[in-house]
Amino acid sequence: MTPALRVQNLSKSFGGLEALKGLGMEVAPNEILGLIGPNGAGKTTLFNTICGVFPPDSGAVFLEDRNITGLSTHRIARMGIGRTFQIVKPFNTITVERNILAALGKDRTKGLSPAIFSTGLKKYRAEVRNLLKLVGLEEFIGHTPNVLPLGHQKRMEIARALALRPKLLMLDEPFAGLGQEDITSIVRLIRKLKADGLTILLIEHNVPYIMELCDRVVVLNFGEKLCEGRPHEVRHDRSVIDAYLGD
Amino acid sequence: MSLGYFSTLGTFIGIYIILVLSLNIISGYAGQASLGHAAFFGIGAYASALLTVKAGLNFWQALPLAMIAAGAIGALVGIISLRIKGDFLAVTTIGINFVIVAIFEYSEFFGGAYGISGIAYPMFFGLKIKKIYYLLMVAGFAVLTALFSFLVSKSWMGLALETIREDEEAAEAAGINCKKFKIIAFSMGCGFAGLAGVLYAHFMRFIAPNDFTFPISITLVSMMVVGGIGTIRGPILGALILAALPEILRPLANYRLLFYGGLIVLMARFQPQGLFGKNAFILRMLFRKDTKKTTLPDNGKIAGRAV
Amino acid sequence: MLQQLINGITIGSLYALIAIGLTMVYGILRILHIAHAAVFVSGAYLGLLAYTYTHNLVLTLFVAAAGCCVFGWIIQRFLYTPLLKEERIVPLIASVGLYIFCEDLFRLVGGPYIRAFTVKLWFEKLVFWGTVITSQQLLIIFTTAACLGVVYLIISQTKLGLAWQATAQDMDTAKAMGVNVKQVVNFNFLIASTVAAIAGVLTAINYNSVLPTMGSVPAYKMFAIVVLGGMGSIPGTIAAGLIIGMAETIMSAYFGFIMPRDAIAFSVMILILIFRPEGLFGKK
Repeated sequence: MTPALRVQNLSKSFGGLEALKGLGMEVAPNEILGLIGPNGAGKTTLFNTICGVFPPDSGAVFLEDRNITGLSTHRIARMGIGRTFQIVKPFNTITVERNILAALGKDRTKGLSPAIFSTGLKKYRAEVRNLLKLVGLEEFIGHTPNVLPLGHQKRMEIARALALRPKLLMLDEPFAGLGQEDITSIVRLIRKLKADGLTILLIEHNVPYIMELCDRVVVLNFGEKLCEGRPHEVRHDRSVIDAYLGD
Repeated sequence: MSLGYFSTLGTFIGIYIILVLSLNIISGYAGQASLGHAAFFGIGAYASALLTVKAGLNFWQALPLAMIAAGAIGALVGIISLRIKGDFLAVTTIGINFVIVAIFEYSEFFGGAYGISGIAYPMFFGLKIKKIYYLLMVAGFAVLTALFSFLVSKSWMGLALETIREDEEAAEAAGINCKKFKIIAFSMGCGFAGLAGVLYAHFMRFIAPNDFTFPISITLVSMMVVGGIGTIRGPILGALILAALPEILRPLANYRLLFYGGLIVLMARFQPQGLFGKNAFILRMLFRKDTKKTTLPDNGKIAGRAV
Repeated sequence: MLQQLINGITIGSLYALIAIGLTMVYGILRILHIAHAAVFVSGAYLGLLAYTYTHNLVLTLFVAAAGCCVFGWIIQRFLYTPLLKEERIVPLIASVGLYIFCEDLFRLVGGPYIRAFTVKLWFEKLVFWGTVITSQQLLIIFTTAACLGVVYLIISQTKLGLAWQATAQDMDTAKAMGVNVKQVVNFNFLIASTVAAIAGVLTAINYNSVLPTMGSVPAYKMFAIVVLGGMGSIPGTIAAGLIIGMAETIMSAYFGFIMPRDAIAFSVMILILIFRPEGLFGKK
């Protein structure tokens, strides 16, 4: 079966710093894969390389069977990867509704005139409502994100990523900075999304949640894959313990 | 204070309104620095002047061509903006203003320091459009420009530009082709600046490089900021106020610039969102609306809907 | 040829001196401080006043510097610092408004005509190998070199200079690390204004004139220089100032006036930015 995402021999350096060294891994369809590792291990760099923020120095990235290496971020987004950011990036001064709407314009990016003169944003309103209902933010549809607490902003960011109708959802530290209640609701959301058939790749530092939530875990350190497997296998792996203790 | 005086003032205000609305598309909607907008004002003016004086076209033929010329060069600046960003871009746009004016001033083709004179009145079924009729024509174009701005703000493109202004990285991740829209924003904004240039050229009937220098660009930016950046009423009112101001301050004669400069400083310092911008003092007074940013009660800790 | 070199270095030094203040303000506050030209002009006027009464060049520079420091502090305290949280364009507009205001103020207070600023040193000029270097040019070159050297040493070697570098990198991080950011901002304006004052006096001496609109020559061109150098980089600004000074001198000497000087500066800047969008010494 074709993996939802395949990363092959990926390398990326910044100046003298090797952030990724020949990394290879796969995400199976409909699985929740956790990506963990000490700070500076290369997790967000991996995300950025997959999503086209910058191209890798060498190696390839495949979304299902399509080679997406080096494509521009917006194309990759439209091809089916939705992502959130380590530090949440809402469109602060426009309403939550418009935040989600922005990601819905899939057929509006081709050609010139549809984009300019299409004012038919109304027909997407129902879809926006549904997405917000899914993440529990329906009542905030008219607010701007800058007055909302962090948990709401993070959920909005997830809804925005989901608006792309992605094949793969990539979450960068979705629980960071959140209180218990918010974390629980996002965990529930992730489980629901998996039940709906989505494939999810997530970066997290919060080990207990990773163990509970993920089907499989990949451990990175210094840009290389240290080990991978089911959560309980990884937790007791010698090299992983060393990596975290040595950090 | 004759009708002629008001008609002339009105025509200038109309031209400024078009200019500031066009700048607003680039800087207000898309959030891109553009501190040399007067250059495109000049490109439109010179293009139309040359096409009518030297190539024998009439006003109505020259107008779209001049707009296209300004828009095309605007697209070039848009392409440059993909490579040079932020404050570097801001200063680059200043540089473009200087370079284009220098080209007008130092090449024979553009008439050098003497500019181009003898530009004809536009004709409408055999009648020369001038004075009050010119004002009406300019007003009509100003309305059209405002309408266009409004349509853009309500359109898909307007939303895309807003996201680019807010956070480009997030916009890309949301599937928006930032490069494309930036170039479109620049060409639209510059194209309409070109329109203003055409109207200016055929009103003054004589243009010189001095009419399009960097201080004019700064005036346009000031109008946009004073009025309220990003809105439609902002540029219109800002243009009105700052264009009428030198006339209103005329009795102050010798102290005009002092007041003008001082006013801009006070405005920027105490009402940076613009007099009619989103959080403006005047609007709040008039409508007694609490438009201030509010944080939700309990610092937003709301028992969110269970998922 | 050598003559052009000397002329170019003189002009370039002046440009570098004026631009340094601008780049330092940008480095800390990230504001395009157009009103710097107003500080520069006030330095020239104060200097003229002081020299007329004392005929002592050193004292003149002190007086001009002192006056400009006060001026600069007022601008920073009452205009820029309150506007730091606004959108980037707002302090720029405020700065422009202030410059317009000041230019007119100079005209009203100091008179619209050109005043002479003649400084006689103990020798008039040196002549060698067919080139002439006037005493004023020598004065300028040495004084600017000394000033720039001092500034560079302060920033790179002293404790306050290190604090400056930290704040320039990231104000919030510096604050979190315990740097007294307010002190750095004040200190920054002190240096920038002092340098502007000295530049004002030297420029007035070079052209033997003080007039209200003398700010418009450096005002805009300075941005080309600051950007070319890589905004916030002190060595970059010095290099860029010299480059632009040389470029202008060579252009007008060998090609006649095909372009006004500002356009030359900006053209050089744009060309280099296209190949190196972060400027000569800028960080990516």
